[in-house]
Amino acid sequence: MRVKHSWRVTGRVLLVIAAIAIAATQLIGTTAKAADPIKVGWVGPLSPPGGYAEGALMKQAAEIAAEELNARGGVLGRPIQVVFADTRGKPEEGTAAAERLISQEKVVAITGEFHSSVFLAEMEVAHKAGIPIIAVDVWALKITAKGYPEVFRVAPNQALIATKYGDWMAAAGFKNVAVMFEKTDGGQSGRDVLLPVLDKHGIKYEVVGADPNSTEFTAQIERFKSHQPLFDFFMTFYSEAGAYPLVSQSHTLGFAPTARTGMANSGGPAVDPTFWKNVGQAGRYLVTELVGLPKNAWNDKTKAFVTAFKKKYNHAPSPQAIENYDAMLVLADAIARAKSTDGKAIIAALEKTDIVLGRGRYTFSTSREPDWAYHQFMNAPVALVQYDKANQDAEDAPIIWPRDIADVKYTYLKPGQ
Amino acid sequence: MSWDYLLVQATNGAVIGVIYALIAVGVTLIFSILKIVNFAHGDLYMLGGYCAYFVIEGLGFPPLAAMGVAMAALFAGAIVLERLMLTPLYSDATERKDEYGLIVTFGLAYFLRNTAVIAFGPFPLKPPSFIPGIQRIGNVIVTNDRLVAGGVGLVLIGALLYFMKRTIWGQALDAVSQSRDAAAIVGINAQRFNSIAFGIGAALAAAAGALVAPIFSLAPDMGVLPNIHAYVIVILGGMGSVGGSIIAGLVLGEAENLFTAFFPDPTRAFAYTNAFGVLVLMVVLIVRPQGLFGRRHLRME
Repeated sequence: MRVKHSWRVTGRVLLVIAAIAIAATQLIGTTAKAADPIKVGWVGPLSPPGGYAEGALMKQAAEIAAEELNARGGVLGRPIQVVFADTRGKPEEGTAAAERLISQEKVVAITGEFHSSVFLAEMEVAHKAGIPIIAVDVWALKITAKGYPEVFRVAPNQALIATKYGDWMAAAGFKNVAVMFEKTDGGQSGRDVLLPVLDKHGIKYEVVGADPNSTEFTAQIERFKSHQPLFDFFMTFYSEAGAYPLVSQSHTLGFAPTARTGMANSGGPAVDPTFWKNVGQAGRYLVTELVGLPKNAWNDKTKAFVTAFKKKYNHAPSPQAIENYDAMLVLADAIARAKSTDGKAIIAALEKTDIVLGRGRYTFSTSREPDWAYHQFMNAPVALVQYDKANQDAEDAPIIWPRDIADVKYTYLKPGQ
Repeated sequence: MSWDYLLVQATNGAVIGVIYALIAVGVTLIFSILKIVNFAHGDLYMLGGYCAYFVIEGLGFPPLAAMGVAMAALFAGAIVLERLMLTPLYSDATERKDEYGLIVTFGLAYFLRNTAVIAFGPFPLKPPSFIPGIQRIGNVIVTNDRLVAGGVGLVLIGALLYFMKRTIWGQALDAVSQSRDAAAIVGINAQRFNSIAFGIGAALAAAAGALVAPIFSLAPDMGVLPNIHAYVIVILGGMGSVGGSIIAGLVLGEAENLFTAFFPDPTRAFAYTNAFGVLVLMVVLIVRPQGLFGRRHLRME
């Protein structure tokens, strides 16, 4: 009996202790709430088969942005915590990541992504949940053309990029263009925008689709070489690691960039840190786009970011990195102005964004004419640059288009000139 | 289309075909002895490429010597992997050996690929050329690196064939490949030869990785397409036939190149190249279910 009694007493004591403990944790919970972090989701490719090199650069930039914001005391008096989700370049992983970030991590907004096809999957989840999502380096038109109120884009889109390539090709006097696009939403959107522009200028073209994982292009390049009339320009929409062997093989086989045929790569790899190590002299005279401000237009914020990035990671940030850094600050600015982490309030604040950051003055269009303009950063900087030396940093390469910001007299530097 | 154009495309097809064969021959060897398809082969190939790269950059070795170091390192590493992960294949207690081999090598492939992103960084790297420059014969332009890869590849495949046919160790391997039990009865330690076969297969993958690195660049996911190519070649050549995989490599290289070169719709020709390779495989399997040079008793079972 005595033993039973003592167990009963112990049980009661334990019950009381548990009740006190639960009450205490709830008390701590309420008092700590003010300092709870504001969780922001980040989505992007960090492992194969996605564009994990670009994803890594974007992640690094988001980390720097969060550190800076927190060093300044956070937003609404609360620290910013970025929850990173690897989407591996696959739409189904994007959907899963967005669902996890929203339902489990309770993020208030999402930024990131490098693959249009993956972003298109992620934004469906965000749209259903009413959570704002800022597209960082995805260019397919239909992302903003769908007209979802939650979706904003700091990157330029293919209408702003591929149109520039088409107009530039006409100005540079090219008449017959070989176009190779990777079979992804981004690549196909580039092709769809470019071809009508080439038609408008009366430029003839042949279009070739490519598997984004390809690294062997010899047969196709030989086929281009045998084409009559000869191609005078080779336009590639290729954002994966295969872009390097593409440039090397094209040059080695005497196709492009050569005096007879110019070459451009659109999609990002040509501005990444190991571009020159992979292509060597073949990269000289290559044309590519810069989606950040040209160096002569850098403001204090751009300079500070580039310095901080180089100091922390030992290599220069790519334009995608600056895009992601700015996206984080755009979001933080909107949360601060909304004075709330409610999705609708942040969206309303994002629509009124007017802030100068590393890529210039950010505002988002609310016009639906044309359809892709909705929530698009219309003044997103896009410049075409052409490397005139091997081992040149993209921001040091001469700007050849648009002409109002070009820093060289020529429109196109023909190899050998 | 001119004969000249056909010659250019056929020559390039042959060169890439030899490179394909080199990648595939290790899978063939492993299949013939262990009776599993090594789906991590492309990732061992990636590791070999990176290993050679760091030996060149870090220790200042010339590229061919670095390839030798990579082969030795992968040979040793693969024996450890085989002891750790593949021994259940030889136990009678394991009921579904094919499925076990498939899942283990797939898992290993994902592990190696994702670890490589962390260990080697996400940005593609390129080691220096074996011999810089190109060879031009008429309209045919081939880089010296491709010639080195093809030439060294043929030498390695020749050495493997010599080893398999003319040495006592090779004959013992062949005996294990034909019947593990019969080999054990005549005193061959089958377990030891399993390790050796997996090691040699991995060393051949490392050689292939080191040889193609200056051509295609190194990236953590560089093994994905070679994995598919190697699998197609191994089945096409007849599972387990080393000679067959050389012919199959050439057939695949030529088939893909000529498809890209001559398919009438230029928009789709290049994009459908890999699909065409698999189509060739399907046609061959309908006509010869055991592959081009397959031995009937070597089916997966």
